[in-house]
Amino acid sequence: MKKRQMYFRMITASLIRRRSRMLVALLSIAIGATILSGLVTIYYDVPRQMGAQFRNYGANMIFTPSDGSFTQADIEDGRSYIESADIVGVTPYRYESVRIHELPVMAAGTDLTQAKLTSPYWSVEGEYPSGTGSLLLGASLSEQFRLFVGDTVTVSYTPEFDGRSEDETILDNTIDLTVAGVLETGGPEEDYVYLQLSDLEQLTGKSGEIDLAELSISANSDKLRSYAEKISSSVQALDARLVKRVTESETTVLTKLQALVLLVTVVVLALTMICVATTMTAVVTERRREIGLRKAIGASNGGIIKEFMGEGMLLGGLGGIIGSVLGFIFAQQVSVHVFSSSITFMPLIVPVTILVSVAVTGVSCLLPIRSATQIDPALVLKGE
Amino acid sequence: MSLLELKNIYKIYGDLHALDDVNLKVEKGEWLSIMGPSGSGKSTMMNIIGCMDKPSKGEVLLDGVDISKESSKNLTTIRRDKIGLIFQQFHLVGYLTAIENVMLAQYYHSVPDEKEALEALDRVGLADRAKHLPSQLSGGEQQRVCVARALINYPEIILADEPTGNLDDANEKIVVDLFHKLHNEGTTLIVVTHDPEVAEVAQRTVFLRNGKLHKETINENFTGEIKFDK
Repeated sequence: MKKRQMYFRMITASLIRRRSRMLVALLSIAIGATILSGLVTIYYDVPRQMGAQFRNYGANMIFTPSDGSFTQADIEDGRSYIESADIVGVTPYRYESVRIHELPVMAAGTDLTQAKLTSPYWSVEGEYPSGTGSLLLGASLSEQFRLFVGDTVTVSYTPEFDGRSEDETILDNTIDLTVAGVLETGGPEEDYVYLQLSDLEQLTGKSGEIDLAELSISANSDKLRSYAEKISSSVQALDARLVKRVTESETTVLTKLQALVLLVTVVVLALTMICVATTMTAVVTERRREIGLRKAIGASNGGIIKEFMGEGMLLGGLGGIIGSVLGFIFAQQVSVHVFSSSITFMPLIVPVTILVSVAVTGVSCLLPIRSATQIDPALVLKGE
Repeated sequence: MSLLELKNIYKIYGDLHALDDVNLKVEKGEWLSIMGPSGSGKSTMMNIIGCMDKPSKGEVLLDGVDISKESSKNLTTIRRDKIGLIFQQFHLVGYLTAIENVMLAQYYHSVPDEKEALEALDRVGLADRAKHLPSQLSGGEQQRVCVARALINYPEIILADEPTGNLDDANEKIVVDLFHKLHNEGTTLIVVTHDPEVAEVAQRTVFLRNGKLHKETINENFTGEIKFDK
């Protein structure tokens, strides 16, 4: 039998046949590795998780026309510069002055399905219009005109003068729409009436023009800035700009949150080291007699360190593997309960957790093992 | 030249002279017993002979080489290569089987050899208990594993500290019989004991009192045959 085989036979025998003792040590390492792995997973997943949360605060980029207006094709062109996985929603808006009950109001023609994604904070009593023939009425207008969900409203539009003789009467275009929902935001949106873009185009008789597009993109401020620059320089009709109050707030909150998680991770790592060191000190102390015996029958100090470090590092490795699995479950639970979404598995965290766990256990073992080598075999074997 | 020679050995702790000018020679193949009351210096002497301690003064010649000034590291090497230790409390590693405990001594000495370790266990009559843990063995069996471990590396001296102190009469006889076998095979035995009956079966007995060699007796009837009977 080779010496190496005997070495592994000894350290595995120590772990397997001293199960109850080693389980305590393993538990201590595994708990540390679990919290460490979980926190690191959360640390790296926080931007994604928080990004999704921040999208609840509305669009973080807008397209405005660089000259007059732009078209749906320009939006698609601009959109092609953004990674599709990052796009939460893109909502085009066209604004026109229309009349309800002969009073002028501002109408926004849009894609209401996308508006729901870019403005998730909108509170709608009733329903979002699912197709043409219905509208979303701002709460102020609803109160002003005494129009409520289910009512039918006639929306009028006076076409612009198109060169016909002055004697000719210009007739209003009208369209009858049903109030699908009443919009409450506490903001200026309550003074608008929102129609499907196709209904507004039918009412005005003009199609293809877009005044503004709101985009909700899940990305950090640097990436957003890079998207905006690329789109502005590549799509002539568009001027892409960031909604700074949203992106800056995101960056600030994210930086602080990551710093907090990092701090907690470092503190947990330190506590884990203390806990593992204490456990390993106890393990080594209760084996003073065995160390004394090994020294008496010829073990060198180096040999003792090698054996105990081997045991410690094997424990560290096992604790790291268990911690990687439990850490993912821990991070998943935190993510589900705090952010209401599942975590992304990051394979790199597994080897990193195992390596850190082995290193922490190794360092923690070093001190008690070094003191173990000072044990005088004669005293220990006499039972003193 | 004697295998082991202690020359004017002192071991002093403050005002206490644990060993006080001790001179002793042990010849190759000899069986020596060391007796004495508690505090007489037996353990101190055993530690010095077993290279686990160094004298305050004097020379310890092993194979003609003075080892009294050697470093702890060198003493470990000498102990590993030349001395087999047997303890009163057996001191087996609890999570290793009997054969693994024997192989442990091989591991530190040279290369573990399972076949040779099994043969050593066979010599002490425990081949069939090779895979048992110490907790599954009786006191006598544990001491026999300890003997197998001590002899596995063919040491020049087997040093036994109260080897029968924790054994009943039947197991005491088995262990003493083993010593007879080892002596007949040419092994040098130094046995520290309280038990006059264990001491009497040796070729020579030295008595320690207050750290000094008080008396020495030669066993005129020693034949090398097994006569121990309790």
